[in-house]
This record gives sequence, C-alpha cells and structure tokens, in this order.
Amino acid sequence: MYSLEERKGATFGPAPEPALQPLRTIRRRRQLHPFFFRMGPVALCITSVLLIGLMAVLYLSQVGQAVSANQALQNMRAEQTDLQRQNEDLVNIIAQEQSPEYIEQNAKKLGLVPADAKNVQVMETHNLKPIPKQDQTIQP
Amino acid sequence: MSAELRRARNRQMIIFLLVCLAMLGLLGRLYYWQVLQSHSGYRLADQANAEHIQNLILDAPRGLIFDAQGRILATNVVRDDVYIEPIQFAQDHPDASQAELNALVHNLHQILPAVSEDSLGKAFNSGRPTVRIATSIDPAQSQRLRSLRLPDVFLQPRTQRTYPAGNLAAQILGFVQNGQGVYGVEGKYNTLLSGKPGSFTAETDLNGNPLTVGASAEQKAVNGANLTLTIDSTVQYMVQTALANIVQETQAQGGTVVILNARTGAVVAMAGEPTFDPNHYGDFADKKGCLGSEDVYFNPALYCAYEPGSTMKSVTMAAALDQKLITPDTTLQDPGYITFPDAPTVYNWENRGYGTETMTGVLEHSANVGAAYVADKILGADRFYPYLKKFGFGQTTGLVSPEASGGYRSTTSADWTPSDLTRQAFGQSIQATPLQMAMVYQAIANGGVMMRPYLLASVNNNGRVIATQPQELRRVIGVDAAQQLTGMLVSAANFNQQATFPGYSVAVKTGTATTQGLDMDQTEASMAGFVPASNPQFVILVKIDRPQTTIYGGTAAGPLWRSIAQQLVWHYSIPPDQA
Repeated sequence: MYSLEERKGATFGPAPEPALQPLRTIRRRRQLHPFFFRMGPVALCITSVLLIGLMAVLYLSQVGQAVSANQALQNMRAEQTDLQRQNEDLVNIIAQEQSPEYIEQNAKKLGLVPADAKNVQVMETHNLKPIPKQDQTIQP
Repeated sequence: MSAELRRARNRQMIIFLLVCLAMLGLLGRLYYWQVLQSHSGYRLADQANAEHIQNLILDAPRGLIFDAQGRILATNVVRDDVYIEPIQFAQDHPDASQAELNALVHNLHQILPAVSEDSLGKAFNSGRPTVRIATSIDPAQSQRLRSLRLPDVFLQPRTQRTYPAGNLAAQILGFVQNGQGVYGVEGKYNTLLSGKPGSFTAETDLNGNPLTVGASAEQKAVNGANLTLTIDSTVQYMVQTALANIVQETQAQGGTVVILNARTGAVVAMAGEPTFDPNHYGDFADKKGCLGSEDVYFNPALYCAYEPGSTMKSVTMAAALDQKLITPDTTLQDPGYITFPDAPTVYNWENRGYGTETMTGVLEHSANVGAAYVADKILGADRFYPYLKKFGFGQTTGLVSPEASGGYRSTTSADWTPSDLTRQAFGQSIQATPLQMAMVYQAIANGGVMMRPYLLASVNNNGRVIATQPQELRRVIGVDAAQQLTGMLVSAANFNQQATFPGYSVAVKTGTATTQGLDMDQTEASMAGFVPASNPQFVILVKIDRPQTTIYGGTAAGPLWRSIAQQLVWHYSIPPDQA
C-alpha cells in the first residue's frame, strides 16, 4: 500500500512506465507430505521401492513356506498311501492264515489227523447237571 | 510460434497419434485373446485351467465280506501293473546300444521271471508310447522295481478284489469284474458294496500334486458297506471238501449240498461241485456245472433244478397228514404196482411189493405205489397242488441271482394230465432247486413254519449296522402234521441205517430220480433231512449228480449226509438226544 507521504507527493496523471528489468524467480520445490512428514520425490521413490521390496520378500517367504508345507503334506500323503497299502496286504495275509484250508494244511504238517467218526463213543450219564456260570447262583 | 517449432510440434503429434494407434491395436488384440478367445474358439481359459486345475476322482473302497464268525471272505488289495515306454526310451537313449537294452531287459526279467526276455525285447522295439508288460505283481516285486528306478519303466497301482480263502464259498460270493460284482453276493449287493466315489478339484503343481495354497474343493468318497454273511467258513470248507471227495469217489458229474438253520432259515453252508477260484475266475470260463448246462459260476443250489425223486414223498405225506386224511399208521395194499384209469401204471423200484403197508412203511420202503396212491386216491389234484404252492415249488426265494424257480404242471396248465399228479407224488414230472427242497424240510423241522432263507446276517454301512431278522414266510402245515411226519422220517432213517450215527436221532428221506430219455442208471441221488430230530437245529440236503459207482440216494448221498451231520453236531456242541 502506498504511504501517506507517497500519496501526498503523488501527482495526478498517467504513471510513468517502469523500466523493464529481467525477471528473476526462484522456483520452489514441491513438497510432498506422505505419512505426515515431508519427503522429496526421490526419497519417496526410494522408500517406495524399499517397501515394495520388503513386502515382496515377505510374500515370497510366505509362499515358500506354503510350498514347503505342501511338499511335506504330499510326502505324508504318499507315506499314508504306502502304509494303507501295507495294512491291506497284512489284513489279506491274516485272512489267508485264518482260512480253514490254511489251518488244515498246517495241522497236517504238525501231524494232526481229521477225527474219525467211527472212533466217537457216546456215553450216557444220568442226572448230570450243567456247571453254572460264575455269575449265576446254584439252584438247590 | 515459429514455423520450425510448429513443424516440430506437428511431428510430435503425428508420432503420438501413431503410438496411440499402435497401443489401441495392441489393446484390441489383447481383448481378442484375453476375453473373446478365453471361453470360445481356442478356449484358452479352459486350456490354462486344464493344465493346472485337476479334478481327481476319489475311488470308494469296496466293502469287505465276512463270514458269520467275522473272518474275511473278500477284501481289497492294491497291486501294481508294470508299464514300459518304448518311444520315450528311444528318445532318452538315442545312442543306446543293444547291450544297454539287453541289460535293461535282463534286469526286468530278473524281477519279473514270468515275462520272458524275448517278449520284453519285442515290447521295447514295438514303437508304442506305452506297453503293459505285467499285471498285479507281488508287493516284493513292486518294491524291487521301485528301488531299482529303471529308466522308462513305471508302475501303475490298481485296486483289486481278493478272496483270501481261495475257492471257499466261491459260488456264494461271486466275483468282481471291472469293478462290478457279478454272480452271488458280489452281484446282488453290488451297489451296497461299491459305495460312492468322491471328487477332489484343486490347483496342482508341475508334478500334478494338489497345492495347499490354491483353491480346492473336495467331496469325500463314501466307503462301500461291509457285509457279514450267515455262512460258517469252517462248515463250508468241511462240506466243500467232503463233497469234492464223494463226487470223485462215486465218479459223479457233480454235486450240491445245502445246510440251513432249521429255526431261522439262515444259510449255514452251500456248496457246489465243480466250483471255481474267484481270484482267477477267468481260468474257469470254459468250465461247466449243472450237468454241463451252465457256467461253473452259477450256484447249483439255486440254479440247477432237478427232479427231486423220493424226497418229494415227504410233501405228499405232509399234505395228507395236514388235512387229516391219513395217519402214520394208515395202511394200503402194495403189490409193487398201482394202476390208474387215466394214467400210466406206477411201479415200485424193481417192482418190489410190500403187501399191507403203513404210510410210515411207504417212507421206509420209499414206495412209489404208496405215494401215488395217496396223491391220486386220497388227496386228488385239488388237495395236492395247493400244498406244492405252499411249500414254495415253482417260486424263487430271492436269495441271490441268478436263481431258477423250477416248476411243475398243475391242473391250470394247458398240458397237464393225471399222469403228472401220480408222478409228482414221488418227485418226477416236477423240477425243484436244491434250496427249494431244503426249505421243504426246514418247514417240517420247524413245526410246519417255513422261514425265509437268508445269506446276509448284517450290513455295516459306514458305522450304521443293520442286522437281518429271521422272517416267517408262512405256515405250511400244522404242528401235529409236522410232528407226525418227523416221526415217520425218523423211522425211515432208522429202517435204512444210511444216515444214522450214535447219540443222535435223525429224520431223513432219500431220493433216487431218473431222467426221462436217459438210462435208468443215470440218477440224481439225494438225501434230505434234519438233525437232531427231537430238537431240529440243522437241515441238510445232499445231491449227487449221476454217480456211477452206486446210483441210489442212500448209498451215494447217505454217507456224505451222515458225515456232515456228525461234523455239525460236534462243531456246534449240540448235545446228544439219544443213547
């Protein structure tokens, strides 16, 4: 604003053209404000790259762990399948050895012979009472 | 703006526009391939999914089959088939010398001696992508092959059905072919045994293994139900072995044995000779049973209908006793033959006459004259045929498939004649299966009540157990008639002494049936009855087809019947009922 003295000394009439002078300006850098503090673009780029890199490392680490876990799971499944197969084979072997033919063959190897009906004697015993079971009381 | 600057700006604009055009073109192409072609035309999305999303079918394990004591009769095992990749081998070993190939062939032959080196060499030179060189190899062989890691040789696991007891109860069990049960229990209960397959959809890695991190969806398989039969393995084995021996001794063409629980109708054993091994059912494709008329896979107890002969006389007597038309002591004159005004004359075996004969005597002598007399003169068609129906003749039991119904001509048949009535009285002109005849004697043994025969004791469907309850089919004859008839059969057994053994009373009837068109010595020799007669536990029917060394029911089937009865009372610790 003009001062009173300048106003008092002002003369009316067209103002004289100011002399042309080279214009100098100072360009101020833009200031960025991410995360509540000021950061230049270069710093921001570097920080972003670092952050992205860190996240990538974390992500890859997690993926790597998942892949390892997956591999371990596959190994366990394969082992489970093998064990199941072995179990079925063992059940089959037990069933074979419980079969009457197998038992008879082994009985013959041990020298046993089938019972001959002609050698069976039936003895008649009168007034024979059955032996009671432990949890039954004997009736008089 | 100067002209230079303007020209420069124009050039910039043109280049910019050209770049934009190129970008637009690329975007358009991208849209074409990413969107338009992904689900149509080349179906790129589907192809991509097919590469890394797999849908696996989860096979449901087939249910096991147990006997009445819980022993396994049918189970599943995994066996490997061995494949080679001849084309891949040639590509992997372009410079392979014959010596290298021979070494590989030799290694394979060492582990698989059943496959000759010559056939292995031919397989490797076949030029095919894969060739199967062995099937269902032993676990030991699989292990050796895995450890050797032979190039371009891989194992393909396959679940197969196995029957650990060999040919035990083969015709009852049936077998599994291409994952489906055929014949017997495997066939009838195939849906129960098969379960329901599941599915598993997941993203997979390079090796085809499902990824835990990827999306997946699973529908669990439903295991097949486990079945427990009423069959006693020990009795079944004893019966099968004894039957095979008798068939061989008598030079017969075959034989059948049926054992039922007299009170419940449960099938304790059911054997046929010849039989087969369900583990190698293919080896028996040319073998015939049922007197050469059917494949050996058919259960003769259910499918091989025959003329029951004199075992039918019990039915004739039962009908007359139940209607109080006769008593065991009712008499007739038996000169050895009987004539009819409208039917051919009926003769006793070897034309033997027995004079004044009681009804009990008719069974003791197995006199055709007496049976024909009762059917024609006392019962008549109207009072005879309803009893054939009540006793189950001409009807299937529904036990397992396939099953024959047998049959007979009655007054409702277009071609019936009075000769049918007189002959059916002693078991000719009528067809019955061994199971049907066994059910007749089961009804007599059970006080006149016929029970539904059953093979399945219980079903365990993934923890849910359903047990079969014995079911009365119908009352066939009254209690009094059943008791009277039992007394007559005991008397017949004691008279002939072919089935009796110390300590136990038995009620039996023999049968010696000829076949029309064949010589008189080509017989179906049978014996049917139950033991102990005073408190029946088991019904036994033995049938020997065309025995040669002796043709009669009493002499061909009798020894086996007695042996089986003795083994049964010992095995089940049934106390003696007589001194």
